Amino acid sequence: MSGETGDVPHYCAGGAADRLDGVTDPALEISGLTVRYGVGPGATVAVDGLDLRIPRGETVALLGPNGAGKSTTVNAVLGLVRYTGDVRVLGRAPAEAVRAGDVGAMLQHGGLPSEARVGEVLDLVRRSSPRSWPLPDLVATTGIDGLLRRPVEDLSGGQRQRVLLALALAGRPPLLLLDEPTSAMDVEGRRAFWTTMRGLAEGGTTVVFATHHLEEADAVADRVVVVAGGRVVADGSAAQVKAGTSGSTITFAAAPDDHLDDLPGVGALTRRGATVEIATTDPEQTLRALLAGGRRLPGLQVRGASLEEAVLTLTTATPIGAEQ
Amino acid sequence: MSALFLFQLRRMGRNRQFLFFTVALPALFTVFFATVFGQTSDTGYQDYAAATMVSMMAYGAMGAALGATIRIAFDRASGWLRQLRVTPVPPSSVVGVEVAVGVLLTLPSLVAVALVGRLVTGVDLPLGTWLLLVAVLWAGSAVFVAIGLLLGLALEQKAAGGAIGIVGTVLALLGGLWVPVELFPSGLQAVAHALPSYWYAELGRDVAAGEAPSPLAVAVLVASTVAAGGLAAAVARRRPLHAVAG
Repeated sequence: MSGETGDVPHYCAGGAADRLDGVTDPALEISGLTVRYGVGPGATVAVDGLDLRIPRGETVALLGPNGAGKSTTVNAVLGLVRYTGDVRVLGRAPAEAVRAGDVGAMLQHGGLPSEARVGEVLDLVRRSSPRSWPLPDLVATTGIDGLLRRPVEDLSGGQRQRVLLALALAGRPPLLLLDEPTSAMDVEGRRAFWTTMRGLAEGGTTVVFATHHLEEADAVADRVVVVAGGRVVADGSAAQVKAGTSGSTITFAAAPDDHLDDLPGVGALTRRGATVEIATTDPEQTLRALLAGGRRLPGLQVRGASLEEAVLTLTTATPIGAEQ
Repeated sequence: MSALFLFQLRRMGRNRQFLFFTVALPALFTVFFATVFGQTSDTGYQDYAAATMVSMMAYGAMGAALGATIRIAFDRASGWLRQLRVTPVPPSSVVGVEVAVGVLLTLPSLVAVALVGRLVTGVDLPLGTWLLLVAVLWAGSAVFVAIGLLLGLALEQKAAGGAIGIVGTVLALLGGLWVPVELFPSGLQAVAHALPSYWYAELGRDVAAGEAPSPLAVAVLVASTVAAGGLAAAVARRRPLHAVAG
């Protein structure tokens, strides 16, 4: 991780998870990744000098709003878009890594062929892979038992996603990239999917997934990388991202004429009837000031920010409280 | 390469519509035309039956070559080509397999119609001529593989679906595969002479008549194949196979 991006909060010690013996290449190393769509004055910059290093064995969520650059980053790692900068997948260039079976992926706009059976599609990829996953094990892991002879057209939405996962895993890749993998799944399907992912991660597979489901990132990932405007704006565990960014919220009841100006650490102050809500970066100082005059604070609550609030803070240009 | 080739062949083999339009329909037309118009033809039954058979061989092979290759537009639209691009299946083999499948699938049409011509409508040619006829029409079908690939790479799914029927029909009709060009008004004859389908059938008519393929027909077909192939390559460069849209 480059040290010169001083304004980006990094919370993890890079390289700590390089635990495979004798193998030093990280699963993914991206430096200065820039992707432009279009040319001339109408061109947009989707990814703007993004740096990211993911050691082997980590489960990482790429989190951010639509248009943040998550999908484009995933597509660059797979060699699907032109980019400048450097991308190394287990030490190889993207196209080479795909060809070597080092990376498997579930894409946002990926699909299955018509006029084919599930088993035939899996067979094609397994035959083309340098090392393939034994079929019975692959079928059991991805929950596609009974589907192998099924024509692709006859699959339900959830079955389709599982087949796409099986396809991504067919070559037994050490790195798995998932772009919004659960967007077409129901609650039950999601739960089963993430259980499968945890199993893979425990088996040593590096899993990188782009999502805007914060609860998924919170529940599944070892590490959350928040992307906004084509750059990494925060990087750490879900707890670290939450704690390190937007601070806390203090709520209590107060009379409308109670003056609450000039409190330290306060970002935003909102009144809803008798309830006052204060967003603060330093809850202790704010509380000391509030209590200093012997003021009573009925219904006092202090809570940390949710990951959602943290991400919102990180990915919007104006900090919380800049407008009331 | 071979895994993808077999995979693609199996998919095409499952497409009943494809088999009907490229094998069954031209074979049925061969019998129909010879039976209905053969006896009253000015040129005599034998010549008429042979000419009809050659036209239907050309029609079937053209439909097979176009139909097999235009379908690449469907695989792009479904996201399959994009998915395939992130598997270890080598991307460079995708177009190569498409061409190989297109080339191979013209053979059933050629052989089926030739067999019907020989066994049902009684077209009488020396064995060497039969073999040469199939070989020459097989080689010549490369032009339709190239045109189909060009259309499949350039068109969106819906347009491609329409193009399979429309392009095949227009080339067949105006190229004189259903009605001999000699019966066309002179303006339409000029149009026919500008189409590869006319020269493709001309190749077959030359061979069936026991002559060498006319150099003009060969030149037009080679030039058309190179032009369509070059355009297809240019389109593929501008719009990679894994691009879903745009």
